[in-house]
Amino acid sequence: MSTVTFTIDGRELTVPKGTTVLQAAIQNGIKIPYYCYHPGLGVDGNCRVCLVKVEKMPKLQVSCSVVAGDGMIVHTSTPEVLAARAGVFEFLLINHPLDCPVCDKGGECPLQDFSYAFGPKDSRMEFERRTFDGDGVKADVDFGPTLMLNRNRCIMCTRCARFMREIDGDPQIGVINRGYHSEIGTSRDEGVHSLLSGNLMDVCPVGAITTRDYRFKSRPWDNPNAVDTVCTLCEKGCNTTLWIKAKQEWAKGAQLIRTTPRLNPEVNGYWMCDLGRFGYHWVEGDQRLSQPLINQQPRPWTDALALAGEKLRSAGRDGLRFLVSAHASHEEMFLLGRIAQELLGDAAPQAISVSWTSSAKDQPADTKFRIPEVNAPNVAGARALGLVGAEAAPDLSALKALVESGRLKAVFVLDPGPAGNLGDLSWLAAARQSGTLTFLAVQGVVATDLSRAADVVLPGSAWPEKHAAFTNMTGQCQTTNTAIVPPGEARDDWQILSDLAIAMQVPLGYESLRQVRDAIVATVPDSPAFARLAELEYLKPQKASTWLESSNASERVKWDAMFLDLPPFKFERMFEAAPRANVIPLKPVP
Amino acid sequence: MRLPEPVLTTHVNEPFSYTLENYLKWGGYAAMKKALAMTPGQIIDEVKASGLRGRGGAGFPTGMKWSFVPKDIPKPKYLCVNADESEPGTFKDHVLMERNPHLLFEGCVIACRSIGAKTAYIYIRGEFYHVQKQMEAELQKAYAAGYLGRNICGTGEDCDIHIHRGAGAYEAGEESALLESLEGKRAQPRLRPPFPAVVGLYGSPTIINNVETICNVPPIIERGAAWFQGIGPEKNQGPKLFCVSGHVKRPGVFETSMDVTLRELIYDFCGGIRDGHELKAIIPGGSSTNVLTPASLDAQASFDGLVKAGSMLGSAAMMVMDETTDMVWLAENLTHFYKHESCGKCTPCREGSDWMHKILQKILRGEGAMKDLDLLLSIANNIGGKTLCPFGDAEIAPVVSTLQHFRAEYEHYIREGRSLVPRADWMPRTLVPAHAH
Ligand SMILES: Cc1cc2nc3c(=O)[nH]c(=O)nc-3n(C[C@H](O)[C@H](O)[C@H](O)COP(=O)(O)O)c2cc1C
Ligand code: SF4
Ligand code: SF4
Ligand code: FES
Repeated sequence: MSTVTFTIDGRELTVPKGTTVLQAAIQNGIKIPYYCYHPGLGVDGNCRVCLVKVEKMPKLQVSCSVVAGDGMIVHTSTPEVLAARAGVFEFLLINHPLDCPVCDKGGECPLQDFSYAFGPKDSRMEFERRTFDGDGVKADVDFGPTLMLNRNRCIMCTRCARFMREIDGDPQIGVINRGYHSEIGTSRDEGVHSLLSGNLMDVCPVGAITTRDYRFKSRPWDNPNAVDTVCTLCEKGCNTTLWIKAKQEWAKGAQLIRTTPRLNPEVNGYWMCDLGRFGYHWVEGDQRLSQPLINQQPRPWTDALALAGEKLRSAGRDGLRFLVSAHASHEEMFLLGRIAQELLGDAAPQAISVSWTSSAKDQPADTKFRIPEVNAPNVAGARALGLVGAEAAPDLSALKALVESGRLKAVFVLDPGPAGNLGDLSWLAAARQSGTLTFLAVQGVVATDLSRAADVVLPGSAWPEKHAAFTNMTGQCQTTNTAIVPPGEARDDWQILSDLAIAMQVPLGYESLRQVRDAIVATVPDSPAFARLAELEYLKPQKASTWLESSNASERVKWDAMFLDLPPFKFERMFEAAPRANVIPLKPVP
Repeated sequence: MRLPEPVLTTHVNEPFSYTLENYLKWGGYAAMKKALAMTPGQIIDEVKASGLRGRGGAGFPTGMKWSFVPKDIPKPKYLCVNADESEPGTFKDHVLMERNPHLLFEGCVIACRSIGAKTAYIYIRGEFYHVQKQMEAELQKAYAAGYLGRNICGTGEDCDIHIHRGAGAYEAGEESALLESLEGKRAQPRLRPPFPAVVGLYGSPTIINNVETICNVPPIIERGAAWFQGIGPEKNQGPKLFCVSGHVKRPGVFETSMDVTLRELIYDFCGGIRDGHELKAIIPGGSSTNVLTPASLDAQASFDGLVKAGSMLGSAAMMVMDETTDMVWLAENLTHFYKHESCGKCTPCREGSDWMHKILQKILRGEGAMKDLDLLLSIANNIGGKTLCPFGDAEIAPVVSTLQHFRAEYEHYIREGRSLVPRADWMPRTLVPAHAH
């Protein structure tokens, strides 16, 4: 790739040809503010805050649209640039409501932060501010099923409109009216109807677009921890950040407070879909399984494992079948497969069925972010382990026929996914209830009709509660991270499976997740699906050290580049004596 | 040499000057035939040699602009004629289109041939409905007579002209906003580069020229670059239309050459200031250009002459004002126009135009403070040169230049709460208008 070499503020930079001055600055930690530029969207050049001085060009230039050229000399902090930039920041704030105390963006708002760093000390505006739909939070209006819009806060960067046009593929958002009266709008005020709508909150650099899901629930400083992980609700495997609200022991409510996408150019870019973003509530929902159950009664783990182990072991070669969700991780699938081999030998492959669901997602034909049909994270893993054929679709008809024939003694279900992810299993629950099937054990996370029909229930962990590896539809092997602990007595699934193996008298001997992963690589050495498994970081919670570092991907670049050493602009005159006029002329006490 | 007789407006005062029959009678479409026998390169060289500069405002050399069109790319190329004529005070393109439309059509065919375009769009101001109707009829006649369409005059050359009516936005006259509007989008400017000559209409190479610019092309081809070069001062050659309005005895459109001075335009062409009054201020090139005082009367009304005088030729729209004009009111009035017409795409113009207008209204109400004047200049400074399109520079001109030349009038408002200028009979009764927007 050819490169160009140029200078910003005396620093010589060499960047790939075609890189803009702003991109080069961001990549190299040089502080230039920006609003309308978003690394995932086309350049629009409308906000004008990224002004810089380029030598030999008479006017200041917007760095987002100047392509770096060989020998170019750029200055970001000449008095001329500082003044011009401050002027633009003043303009951006003269009509902004500054209702930061009630605004959801407050604390993680590029308008706050950049104004603080680069704006003038105070505003000279003395007229009433522009309002569109009312004052304060009354200005929040419906913006479709998932979003709210506050036009007063909008700075007209048009990132939202460009996201819809360029990424979603259905340009539902446009600008209506002109000049000072410009506002963001949708046709007939219908709001945004898109499976990608949540990204609009991320791209909006102010609190104009908020999600109904997160609105008023928390503030950035209430979310001291955020954990980088991957979404497991479909086979795309978007890289995400889970935000965790600090909560007193006694306080009600959930800890998981929102999901935001995290940049991975090879998987999801800057984006994620609404199904993954908003689909986390079940994890801390009241349907979670939190205690081992025998005949639906809480019992100690040892009893539940002993009973399950004994029944499954004694079911024999022809009497035992396993049903596995494609929400199970590599480690879980591998351990289950090993148990089946130990118990059933050659008959193991026929004894395991893997299931998942698929559904078409309603998206524009030319969307740049397509949500796959498969609603499970690890179909590729199941195929690589040989649990299901390379092309095969889930097919439980043989298992169903066998169950209904009454020839089976026991079925073990491994399902760490959300309710319904295995498809319709009413036949299995019915078979157990009618006595056609004599023993059913379920290792799962949510109470379902199936778990309610089970003789033994082993409560496992949902994906935010464990380290677990998955291979997505394009062959990327990725891991989730522990963000919160599983509820009650629920345990990590790989440990449950290891203990179950011991209870079945076929101990597998793995003492750590690392050993399990090494065993997978040793067993299936050449599979690309596990190529990175040995290197994946695990058992180390990747807590962000500050909330800033875990903001959504696009902003994270900015935080890293901008705010690790925030210049204390506003306080430069802090120690000077206050001007006399500001001193209250107190009268001496008589 | 001073232009001896009109070239673009020779017959405009004769009845039915706009018809194809009359245009042919007066020798029309001869230049086109000549040009169709020339190579595109020869046409561009001739226009370059003539020194023709764009009449739309910036005075960019036309031949050079045409030569920016890449020759070896497979995309179609387009010519767009900027007939949006919305700059306050400007009414020259209107005359050409109403009374000499075939000159424009002829120019379009020649320009299209030079840049390899087969299609020209004339983007006409929305309010020029009656003009468009008449032009459409004449266009059909030109098609029927074989001067447009397929195989023009048997030369094998094709050229189509479409007239597209705007929907009423000043900003649609800015060339890249014009392209957006033509494509059916909001009339908001595009970021440059890439320039339209490379990526323009529908992503294809496009040349945008003013009506008067294109109308100058047939005479150049017909009479040659040397003839054009001989008219007017160096680098400012050729016939030029001036629209003079305001407090002169005989306002109107005048065709002359750019060696003319402001004094000659006002006193010779327009018969001077109306009786009993004296000249106070001149806006020489449309509302976007700086106000001048009588001290500049001897400035040459050319691209370079007016820059030297501290203003610009712009669209050559001279607005002449006598001593009854309240300059603060003038600034408020024009700022209202700009605030209303700002497209809203970029921050400084969207926010700054309204802010300046509010301050000017406050001063007119007699509630201003001295610091407001510095504030106005500071806001103007924060807009100028920082916007996405030249609108930002345009909107500050009235404020900055009236403050420069007539600061005393502002200060009088602030000190006395009323105008320094006795209320003139032509002025509105209340100085702070209840504008619709
Ligand atoms: C706000 C704004 C409005 C403009 N309006 C017009 C117009 O009405 N007519 C016009 O010919 N040029 C207008 N222009 C200038 C055009 O952008 C462009 O420079 C011109 O059409 C080029 O033609 P020329 O090279 O023949 O002068 C405007 C420019 C700006 C910034
Ligand atoms: S709503 Fe947000 S993203 Fe959309 S234009 Fe306004 S500030 Fe930008
Ligand atoms: S300066 Fe900006 S807001 Fe004003 S007209 Fe141009 S692009 Fe639109
Ligand atoms: S980021 Fe460059 S103009 Fe907005």
